[in-house]
Amino acid sequence: MELYQKTAAELSAMLRNKEVSSVELTKAAFARTAEVEDKVGAYITLTEEKALADAAAMDAKLAAGEALSPLAGVPVSVKDNICTKGIKTTCASKMLENFQPPYDATVMDKLNAAGLIMTGKTNLDEFAMGSSCENSALQKTRNPHNLDHVTGGSSGGAAASVAAGEVSIAVGSDTGGSIRQPASFCGVVGMKPTYGTVSRYGLIAFASSLDQIGPFGRCVEDVAMLTDVLRGYDKMDSTSYPREYESLTAGLNADIKGMKIGLPKEYFGEGISEEVSKAVLAAAETYQQLGAEVVEISLPLSKYALPIYYILSSAEASSNLARFDGVKYGYRAESFDGIIDLYVKSRSEGFGQEVQRRIMLGTYVLSSGYYDAYYKKARAAQRAIRADYAKAFEQVDVILTPVAPTTAYKVGEKTADPLQMYMGDICTVSVNIAGLPAMVQPCGFDSDKLPIGMQLIGPRFGEQKLVNAGLAFEKASGLSNIVAL
Amino acid sequence: MKYEPVIGLEVHAELSTKTKIFCGCSTAFGAEINTHVCPVCTGQPGALPVLNKQVVHYAAKMGIATHCTINQLCKSDRKNYFYPDLPKAYQISQFDVPICENGYVDFEVNGEPKRVRFERIHFEEDAGKLLHDEGDGTVVDFNRCGVPLIEMVTRPDIHSAAEAKEFLETVKTTLSYLQICDCRMEEGSIRCDVNVSVRPMGSEKLGTRVEMKNINSFSAAERAIEYEVNRQIDVLEEGGTIIQETRRWDDSRGKNLVMRSKEDAQDYRYFPDPDLVAVEIDDAWLEQIKSEIPELPQSRYARYIKDIGLQPKEARILSDAYDKACLLDEGVAMGRVDSKSIANWILSDISKYLNDKGLELKDTKLAAAKLVDMIEMIEKNTISGNAGKKVLIQLFETDDSVDAIVEKLGLKQVSDEGAIQKLVDEVLAANPKSVADYKGGKKNAIGFLVGQCMKASKGKGNPKMINQLLSKTLANM
Amino acid sequence: MAITRENVEYIANLARLDPKGKGFDKIAEDMQGIVSMVDQLQELDLGDITDVIDTERKNAMREDVPVPSYDKEEILANAPSVECGGVSVPRVVE
Repeated sequence: MELYQKTAAELSAMLRNKEVSSVELTKAAFARTAEVEDKVGAYITLTEEKALADAAAMDAKLAAGEALSPLAGVPVSVKDNICTKGIKTTCASKMLENFQPPYDATVMDKLNAAGLIMTGKTNLDEFAMGSSCENSALQKTRNPHNLDHVTGGSSGGAAASVAAGEVSIAVGSDTGGSIRQPASFCGVVGMKPTYGTVSRYGLIAFASSLDQIGPFGRCVEDVAMLTDVLRGYDKMDSTSYPREYESLTAGLNADIKGMKIGLPKEYFGEGISEEVSKAVLAAAETYQQLGAEVVEISLPLSKYALPIYYILSSAEASSNLARFDGVKYGYRAESFDGIIDLYVKSRSEGFGQEVQRRIMLGTYVLSSGYYDAYYKKARAAQRAIRADYAKAFEQVDVILTPVAPTTAYKVGEKTADPLQMYMGDICTVSVNIAGLPAMVQPCGFDSDKLPIGMQLIGPRFGEQKLVNAGLAFEKASGLSNIVAL
Repeated sequence: MKYEPVIGLEVHAELSTKTKIFCGCSTAFGAEINTHVCPVCTGQPGALPVLNKQVVHYAAKMGIATHCTINQLCKSDRKNYFYPDLPKAYQISQFDVPICENGYVDFEVNGEPKRVRFERIHFEEDAGKLLHDEGDGTVVDFNRCGVPLIEMVTRPDIHSAAEAKEFLETVKTTLSYLQICDCRMEEGSIRCDVNVSVRPMGSEKLGTRVEMKNINSFSAAERAIEYEVNRQIDVLEEGGTIIQETRRWDDSRGKNLVMRSKEDAQDYRYFPDPDLVAVEIDDAWLEQIKSEIPELPQSRYARYIKDIGLQPKEARILSDAYDKACLLDEGVAMGRVDSKSIANWILSDISKYLNDKGLELKDTKLAAAKLVDMIEMIEKNTISGNAGKKVLIQLFETDDSVDAIVEKLGLKQVSDEGAIQKLVDEVLAANPKSVADYKGGKKNAIGFLVGQCMKASKGKGNPKMINQLLSKTLANM
Repeated sequence: MAITRENVEYIANLARLDPKGKGFDKIAEDMQGIVSMVDQLQELDLGDITDVIDTERKNAMREDVPVPSYDKEEILANAPSVECGGVSVPRVVE
């Protein structure tokens, strides 16, 4: 078995047992990347030189017996909307094509402090707006399971980097499914933690109240380990919870006897492909066999999640992306006549179509005369959705649902019709609206051998329940550490 | 027809916090371009704001001092617009739930009581500064970005330029009493926008409102209002109508010009800032803030007239200046000397010294206890009033005690009756002509004799005693 | 709600986007469909649930303690145009 085929948990053990050095791991990661990157296109920027230097430094620390995190020395890729000091952070946009942040995001500080080795910055839909990674202005990323298919998005590069064996773990971000849906399409594990548990400081905002940074891994344990590194209170992020977190990794327990798992009926009806429904329902049966109690529940407001999401996320995006105006950083149009023309040309030329669409929608729902009907109503509905979930979690420990209506579709299949693309987010957005944690992991393959994922949704701060339920299924199904190509 | 002006003000005051409202950068004025900057206040991608607690504290303090209702649960909102001095392209402010609402201030205009109500007071961030270079460009200095402001919005309760000016002075005095604003007008720490309309006298209906911007001093506000009121009356008298618009005041030319009409009214798309969380001022915090509010100028003004017997004008000067009022009150509280005497020293010699030197009390070493020591020495005839002036200079500039200064400068008065009698006898003996003049009815000849006695005592003789003994001795001659 | 070309231009102007820009016609065309999708929310009766100040988190504040600022060069490093120590834009008059 090659190094690139191992999970982060396995690599961590090898490092600790001195079976391998961080430099060896890092070299192996770049060797594998050299082999597959042409086809996959996961990265926008590779930082090989820095990674090797960091790995050598980490080996010295490990040799000196410094008490470092379990993931110290393990390579990790980082989504290119997370600020890295002096290293290009593009958001896959022409607008930030050459932007080098003057500071590191808090999660970068955490990764560095824990001794992880960053391999580079991964591709995404421009400013994380999209569900297929096709909205990137800078790079094309393909699904390692079938290069004619999309990776999902927006963290498509992150998911692909893990699925293709370039790294075992990756950091992404999730605003409406941007970790979970590509994890599902690429057959890896991904988690969106509870809103406020991972600092957003340095994450280039799409929708501040929904954005959350989270991990990708080859297996549940990888995701637990990386979450342990990423989460924690940050005084630089006002929405970060001032609380302590226990180690998810230490708490891993596959015994789920007596656990109550809810199946919301609204997630298995019209619009969800039969293959996907069947695979997720089969997973529910597995849970029953493992001693869990599976009950049907109802989340009646689910059908409104999509409009609520597109109103709230676009409204915030229209404001968050206003700072990209050609003045302080980023793209400035070559010719303009006066300051307003500078703004208009720089933004129209610097932003891609999808970003402009969202800015338009967001500006519209906040504009005079429409605010109450759209934005205010969506905020009220958000409270109702939270109440829906709170009620559900009085009955069950976790909720099991599909991740997306279908498996990974073909490149170009949905790019012409944005609405069709938005419909693909139907199973994931309500989790962000409610601020809950959710984890996605493979639960089967479709007839074209493309992975099918399932989603476990937990109550606020219920990550331990998610990883435990996920681990139980992973052990029972053997669906773990799937490396394509 | 007679017209009544109806005026509302929006006053912006910079809060004197050490750091900016959402980051730890300094708020100090006058720094080199772009040196008080960080990712947060320059709107770098991914940077997030964290609210400065002191801003909330100060804003609530102003609200309490102006009788506002404090919204113990409030929030921050984004006001969206593009301008080069606004790096995030939105200003973090407060929209529908400001920290303070429905207050008022009382003051006097030409001796008549006046009340102006506040609609609201909210906190927000300042924008940067645009510098125009010699060519065709504008350069942005981000140092001011994120300096905390409070915006105070009045009801349309003001009906003349004079009222507006007095209102602004009252706001300024209150801010300085609360010690939440430096009130340095030349640094722009207080600015205002003015809304002016006019209506026929007696009419209840409000006229069309014109907003005026770019008003940089209280006297400019007075001039701008006078101008705008007259302009509107002229338009109406000529049968025209007032257009709702924003006009820019040009103080050097003494006129205003249209900046934008209602048609290009901004649509700011306010919404709650998702990067910030709710602000809750619990009862304990609110009590804490209340306990920090000193007795306010209006109350001190009344007290100075009633208890100390000052003239309204004197009382106003003292109550307007927080540091002087505190000096007076501290001195009075010691109960050792005549209160009016302390007031007089502050109004005359102390104010003159500060004016001449361009200093504020806090820049000097003068303390109430020493001022009282000095006045007490005068009252006890230990030193003369003139000597007191010399002592005062030392009290401003040194840490010495009054005793030490008097000793050092040899200012102690001679009040020994025997010694003074001896002086008087010598002077009378040496000046027979003056004595004769006096005896001959020229009573003012005594002035010369007093002067001679003072001179003989090298200025240390107690003048009162010299006067008494001279008169007595002359009478007996 | 029906989206007119006028609406689209008004919004584009607020957002400082160019309604005559390359590919904008497609964006304008898509707007109606997207707005119709979010209009589904209008049929939802929320009873007495309204938008209120979110009190889930409160009082995340910092003390008024200075933190060193960044160097001018670091903050201006990405600026498209710098003059006299600041980012430079075409002359703004107001």
